Amino acid sequence: MSEKPTGTGGFARVARAAIEQIATPVVSVVLAMLIGSAIIAAVGYNPIEAFSALFAGAFGTPRQIGETLMRATPLIFTGLAVAYGFRAGLFNIGAEGQLFMGGLSAAWLGVVLAGLPQPLNIVIMIVVGALAGAAWAFVPAILKARVGAHEVITTMMFGYIARYLVSWLVTGPLKAPGQIPQSVQIAKEASLPRLTDLLPMLGTGRAHLGIVIGVGIAVFLWWVLKYTTLGFEARAVGFNPFASETGGVSVAATTVKSLCISGSLAGLAGVVEVMGVHYRLFDQFSSGFGFTGIAVALLAKNNPIGVVAAAILFGAMSAGAGSMQLNADVPQKVIFIIQALIIFFVAAEQIAKFILRPFEGKKGAENA
Amino acid sequence: MLSDVITPDLFASAIRIATPLALAAIGGTICERSGVVNIALEGMMLFGAFMGVVGATFTGSPWIGLLVAVISGGLLALIHAFASITLRTDQVVSGTAINILAAGLTGFFMEVIFHRPGTTDPVARLRPFFSVDGPSSGPLVEVWRWIDTVFLSYTPIVYFAIIIAVAGQWALFNTRWGLRLRALGEHPRAADTVGISVIRGRYAAVVASGMLGGLAGANLSLEQVGSFTEGMTNGRGFIALAANIFGRWTPAGSYLASLLFGFADALQIKMQVFRDVITIPSQFFLMLPYVLTVIVLAGVVGRAVAPAAIGKPYEKG
Amino acid sequence: MGGSVLEVREITKRFPGVLANDRVSLSLERGEILALLGENGAGKSTLMNVVYGLLSPDGGSVHIDGKPVSIKSPRQAIDMGVGMVHQHFMLVEPLTVTENIVLGNEPTRGIAIDFRRAKADVAEISKRYGLAVDPDAIVRDLSVGMQQRVEILKALYRGAKILILDEPTAVLTPQEVHELFGVVRSLVAEGLSVVFITHKLEEVMAAADRVVVMRDGRVVGETRPADTDTAGLAKMMVGRDVVFRVHKEPRTCEGTVLSVKDLRVLDERHLEAVKGVSFDVCAGEIVAIAGVSGNGQSQLIEALTGLRKVLAGTVTLAGMDITHASARRTIKAGVSHVPEDRHRRGLVLEFDLAENLILGDHREPPLARAGIMDTGAITRLALERVADYDVRTPSIKVTAGTLSGGNQQKLVLAREMGRNPELLVAAQPTRGLDVGAIEFVHSRIIAERDAGKAVLLVSLELEEVQSLADRILVLFEGRIVREVRAGEATDEELGYYMTGGGGSKLTEESVTVGVEVE
Repeated sequence: MSEKPTGTGGFARVARAAIEQIATPVVSVVLAMLIGSAIIAAVGYNPIEAFSALFAGAFGTPRQIGETLMRATPLIFTGLAVAYGFRAGLFNIGAEGQLFMGGLSAAWLGVVLAGLPQPLNIVIMIVVGALAGAAWAFVPAILKARVGAHEVITTMMFGYIARYLVSWLVTGPLKAPGQIPQSVQIAKEASLPRLTDLLPMLGTGRAHLGIVIGVGIAVFLWWVLKYTTLGFEARAVGFNPFASETGGVSVAATTVKSLCISGSLAGLAGVVEVMGVHYRLFDQFSSGFGFTGIAVALLAKNNPIGVVAAAILFGAMSAGAGSMQLNADVPQKVIFIIQALIIFFVAAEQIAKFILRPFEGKKGAENA
Repeated sequence: MLSDVITPDLFASAIRIATPLALAAIGGTICERSGVVNIALEGMMLFGAFMGVVGATFTGSPWIGLLVAVISGGLLALIHAFASITLRTDQVVSGTAINILAAGLTGFFMEVIFHRPGTTDPVARLRPFFSVDGPSSGPLVEVWRWIDTVFLSYTPIVYFAIIIAVAGQWALFNTRWGLRLRALGEHPRAADTVGISVIRGRYAAVVASGMLGGLAGANLSLEQVGSFTEGMTNGRGFIALAANIFGRWTPAGSYLASLLFGFADALQIKMQVFRDVITIPSQFFLMLPYVLTVIVLAGVVGRAVAPAAIGKPYEKG
Repeated sequence: MGGSVLEVREITKRFPGVLANDRVSLSLERGEILALLGENGAGKSTLMNVVYGLLSPDGGSVHIDGKPVSIKSPRQAIDMGVGMVHQHFMLVEPLTVTENIVLGNEPTRGIAIDFRRAKADVAEISKRYGLAVDPDAIVRDLSVGMQQRVEILKALYRGAKILILDEPTAVLTPQEVHELFGVVRSLVAEGLSVVFITHKLEEVMAAADRVVVMRDGRVVGETRPADTDTAGLAKMMVGRDVVFRVHKEPRTCEGTVLSVKDLRVLDERHLEAVKGVSFDVCAGEIVAIAGVSGNGQSQLIEALTGLRKVLAGTVTLAGMDITHASARRTIKAGVSHVPEDRHRRGLVLEFDLAENLILGDHREPPLARAGIMDTGAITRLALERVADYDVRTPSIKVTAGTLSGGNQQKLVLAREMGRNPELLVAAQPTRGLDVGAIEFVHSRIIAERDAGKAVLLVSLELEEVQSLADRILVLFEGRIVREVRAGEATDEELGYYMTGGGGSKLTEESVTVGVEVE
């Protein structure tokens, strides 16, 4: 202890920290899959068959890899949304609602902006979609900052409100001609190109530019959290609002900013779904991306780069679930059970740590 | 027009709609008074609703279904208790996992048992508890219609919810259980130092809240609808939590706050009758309970004081 | 005195990385007042928590009335006649006095609690031991001294024969301390035996029959007050000679830095906590606010540092109006703040040392420009501050939570003083620290003063107030009731003002008590 303090943690420390960071999520996923297998086996299916079908469905061919990436894309955004909120001590459980509003803005702009060049369209729609998501988070954010109304309830309620709003719009004002309640299709130049449009050799099917945007934003967010005062203040408030306040950070302003940033990221999830996948809006255009985003964020331990990896894992599960149901006859809802179990195991770190204990004998000896 | 809206049916429907909210809200009260946040009421309700139908399907008896629902809610709550009390997991995160788990389990077993997603086969419902014949003619017919509809028309769980609210209110402030429960959520270490087991007390409270959540689910599936539909709780667990806060963490307050929601919802349904006169899309009526929840929460939360130790895991020593 | 009622033999208790109790043995005789003396962290509370069943020992045994017992929970301790009054009261604030006292041992009638009997029981005990208290009062509304009575009543209600008091005087005024010792003597006269844990030498001298001294988890000595003096006890406790008085050159006022006029502030419950306070602090002067906890100190500090809204009045810093300034603007204007609770307000425990050291300056160049932080500049500043303030740490990248209490406080000082402020507001800056760290903090505060800074010290410890302050303001119920220059008033006089003294009757009383103690 008498040696001079150093500026950095040293390479060994960093390496060990990185391994420790990854160990819990990996163990959690494995445990969750084991229990999932047990459930599958208990009701009379073959879990090995099921998971092979799932894996093949997710990664079997370039086209299926593309399917995985496509399904991972909205999860990157909702995962980042939830993760950023968590970093600031906020639980944006209503990402689903902000996603709907982002999707709504894209479905509308995609029609009215028809004729503008595609790059310009993409930029405008992303900016406006982010603003729409932020706007939907703004009221819960203000209520949290001003009167302390818990964001878990308010954002959830705003989620339901958004759903009914969209439901009304696609059956009324925005409805496309015909029987099906859905909005008018957006213009070609307002859509996100598929990766195969840019590089046909990839053969990645429905995967679209959204995943590239998502990864870019994840890296940007990582930088924001680490190297900007905005991120510093968000993290400070997330850990200890009282000490932050004493250090001149406005807790109310940081809360509003953080929840709105979170909302804007969730809004983008809706934007890329409309621009890259469905080209229009309808009631069920999100299959619970906002909620899966919670699992993604937790599995990633709220690290933006980790969110990308976790989103791809969940994207793969979602892409493979169909083939699992088709080829192994296992109801695909089992992946929700696995998701929930992953959340448990990641959140209850002791379980994973308990399992990892035999592998850490050396470290334990050092401490004793 | 007013007489078309203010009917005995309006009040009866308010009480019916309030019932699952009230049961879950009282569950939330008990759980949060012990110091554990329970945002998993939604999932416990959903699971209870499903398992109630499963129980009723296999036995043919809605009463056994009810029992299964209550036990199932309790079992799901046991997971929440284990995660948040023993493992000291973040309680909101654990609650979220329970909610997703409940959606997954009900969806999965729906296909395993009923071989399709969506809605289960219909089951026998619990019938209204009383059936009293009143005068069918004479001057008292109108009076009788009010009495019969507003007081005597309900299924068993509706009455049970009222009993729970009254008994719970009394017990919280007059019994050992109530005093100790209040101490647990305010200052668990103080309770521990006089020999009250914090862990056991909190486990009991969380499981009790899950059983009430399961009962609320049974009310939805076995009394109101007669079948189970995926996601049929539709945010009621969260609205119930708001009702619990609005009711200041008391059973009677929770019931009355739920009644407010029930009344608003019942009124909303009534108003839809006039859709031709007032041209408002139905979606806006459907939004109302959620909007009301936000307003209630925004209006009351600053003044309502939550138990001091809420959300904090207890560690000995 | 008839034999030992409580004996601990060779108790050992380990925490990760710390040997808190190392084969500790001591015994308590019937009808005795035993002082357990030691610094913060010496292992006194650990030992008593073992006796009370809150911690299980790694070795050794506990004997009650000569018989070995195994106490695994407070419940068992209570059943064996052991009662404990904790330093942080174990009272449920929104409940009534009666509810708190009977909690866990409620008399019932049917399934309901028999509140009538509970109240009668409480009244009976409080009468027997002379501990008057309103059984229907809500605990939150009681003064600290009253709350302590409730704690003692709780133990007596459970039939305690052995009473453990953990730092019972920490939050009391000198008068309340005398009262408490009176109560303790009457308990002993009724046949109880008392252990009180303390680090205050005067109290040992005044109240104990016998004293056991602990240091670094071991018993290092045992004596009777009659056979020693405070200097001897201090040496035993700390392990070296201790200088009691801080060396301080007299200084004159070099211009007003802080000027507070008719300040009024509300608390959380919207009641007026600061009721029209006016005072100045000069450059090169330490002004101390003395008072019993809960008389408006926290609200006053928060108002001055921009953490709480000001209802009326003005706050001026070097001529600049900062009455309604935000915390951020207050910091920029030159106010530094060492908060009373370093875990809650002082540090972000999950942040590393560098991040904690820049908190408050994190938006200012050279640490950040246009919202982007300069990690090089941050590292340089952090290394410099850590060295300047002797923060013992392996790296500036470890989290603040891993540091010891003393080093955490040094970290707070490094940030707040390193900023080179005009005014330093220090609230209970030595709470929970050991003697070495206290000396460090005191010398740094004096150094600030000598460098021409204005210092506003808020402390509950009269010893600290007396040794550091140039001027002392006594705060009582939100008003400054007295101002004295350093050395003009004794602890007893200050204590008397701190409890709102003014009538001659009280003065006589406090003087008699004082004499009696000496």
